[in-house]
Amino acid sequence: MSDLPNGFKEYWQNVEDELGRYPGNPEVEELPIHSTHFCTVFWVKLTSIGPARIGGYLSIPHGDGPHPAIMQTPRYGSVNHVPDYNDRKRYVMFTLMHRGQRLTDKPWAAKYPGLLTEGIDDKDQYVYRAIVADCLRGAEFLQNRPEVDSDRTAIVGDDLALITASRRPEFSHVHAAGLLFHRLMDHRERSSAYPVEEINDYLRANPGDSRRVTETLSHFDPIHHVSGIKARTLLSVGDDEAVGGPEWLEELAEQFGGPVEEYRVTHRGGTDNDSIDAWLARQLGREPMSKFRRTLP
Amino acid sequence: MRATPRAPEEFVSSVKCPADFDEFWNTLLDDVSRIPLNPSIEHVPMRSTDEVDVYEIGYDSLDNVRIAGWYCVPKDSYLAPPYPGLLIVPGYVSEPTLPKSWANQGYAAIGVAPRGKLRSNAQYNPGYPGLLVDNIVDRNTYSYRGFYIDACRAVDFALTRPEIDHSRIGVHGSSQGGALTITTAALRPDVITCGAAGAPYLCGFMEAAALTHSYPYEEINEYLRLYPEREEQVRDTLEYFDGNNFAPKIKAPMLVYIGMEDDVCPPETGFAVYNAMTCEKVLHTADHCAHDAGAFWEMAEVEAFLAKHLNPGAPSQRADTTIG
Repeated sequence: MSDLPNGFKEYWQNVEDELGRYPGNPEVEELPIHSTHFCTVFWVKLTSIGPARIGGYLSIPHGDGPHPAIMQTPRYGSVNHVPDYNDRKRYVMFTLMHRGQRLTDKPWAAKYPGLLTEGIDDKDQYVYRAIVADCLRGAEFLQNRPEVDSDRTAIVGDDLALITASRRPEFSHVHAAGLLFHRLMDHRERSSAYPVEEINDYLRANPGDSRRVTETLSHFDPIHHVSGIKARTLLSVGDDEAVGGPEWLEELAEQFGGPVEEYRVTHRGGTDNDSIDAWLARQLGREPMSKFRRTLP
Repeated sequence: MRATPRAPEEFVSSVKCPADFDEFWNTLLDDVSRIPLNPSIEHVPMRSTDEVDVYEIGYDSLDNVRIAGWYCVPKDSYLAPPYPGLLIVPGYVSEPTLPKSWANQGYAAIGVAPRGKLRSNAQYNPGYPGLLVDNIVDRNTYSYRGFYIDACRAVDFALTRPEIDHSRIGVHGSSQGGALTITTAALRPDVITCGAAGAPYLCGFMEAAALTHSYPYEEINEYLRLYPEREEQVRDTLEYFDGNNFAPKIKAPMLVYIGMEDDVCPPETGFAVYNAMTCEKVLHTADHCAHDAGAFWEMAEVEAFLAKHLNPGAPSQRADTTIG
């Protein structure tokens, strides 16, 4: 097991306690423009810590349930798409917007660049503390939907998917790719690309904050979380010797509490999309579907 | 009915060019030319480095909408001016790139934030999804009318900068950025020196929507599911904004690269817009690649293409990709 940062368990228990003080009080309203002959799409509003009202797209296939389900954690950016058409055919889909993203940007809107370092000098004020809480609230919402087959519920995304899966062990499967918080203080020394460069920008401007930034980020490194994941996990792995490659992720992969399969990314999006889609479909009892139609009627 | 394999290379677009296409755009360019640019530039020390100065910029565009952007310039001590200018134009859902890595390669690089993007959305904010279909039945108020012009006005901003060599201004982006590369090169043919367009979006809108259910084109399918009677109006509007109709007007050399399994911007539409170009051009196709368009390998080609035509002083590190 990894050496946990000081106060790690208490930190996250405080998040759970705070979240527990606010009922989610969901509002679920249909979005006819996104609904089809095979699914109904809804806009969902939920309360998270703060308190803040967050949102997400919920899509439910027509027909008798319960259905397998997938939760998509928010990407790093202002926009999350409506769930994919093929996915809406096969699964209950829930795509969460965390606070500050478009459609949940009142009263506070996230800045890009800027989100990654918002409040980073104090782990109790760091914006990702609340963003993780948003994801946990979203997971609770999905897992309590009567249309969802609780034995076939996956979560997909980056570090947020791993942290959420570790704290909401009802998920049966996980796919994680593009980890941002794993070894971020190492990563920043090897990259000038955004969003990692946000950390470099911040520390150039605030060199005295290095210790506090390191402490804050350590609470979000998935290496300290994944022992709590019992679900079967697919971990996307990049190139040899690269950030996100097998050496980079080796120690992380060893910490999972459940079985881990590794998918070696080819950088050919068609191949990668189809491979990951097929893995999830197999796990959740659905047919694989390529987003790219190779034949036309 | 038997399904047939796709043959993107053989695709022939049915997009028509309206008779008054040039008049429509010339009128808009004329209209915006009467609006003072009112450029602003503010140094951002936090994002600047020993090599590159970063600025937040602003300028006025069509309908007096204030447009934001990032401007990244090599420091004199790192590389002496003049610099070639490089517009980095954004994808559909991505926020404008802060193009520091391009400045590290010797470019005075502008990350453009057309209307509706964060920091340019105080006066116009159709949202995502939403931008693609906002006022789609009316070419005079359709979202991309101002959006395309906003990217052109970034060229005007570049022309105000004394450190930029005005005879070397390129444009690059992927997805919607690929589309803006095409439209900007076409609308500013006497200024743009070269362009690199990845996975170009907004080309053959209706044909693309028929080939995919991926967003953003799925916005059109959704709109027409709700309002099927408006299809002809939609088609008429989109012809004024179709990359295929801008492509023949480009004079500068162009690099186009596409993914052969792109579900977001179908490769058929990439071939069509490439075939519509009459300028010096090169096409790179990436097998088994989707909307990434082979960026993992292709970015080195993009950098080499831009460097060949724009001749920056001191190339150093790899630039960021700009996938939308």
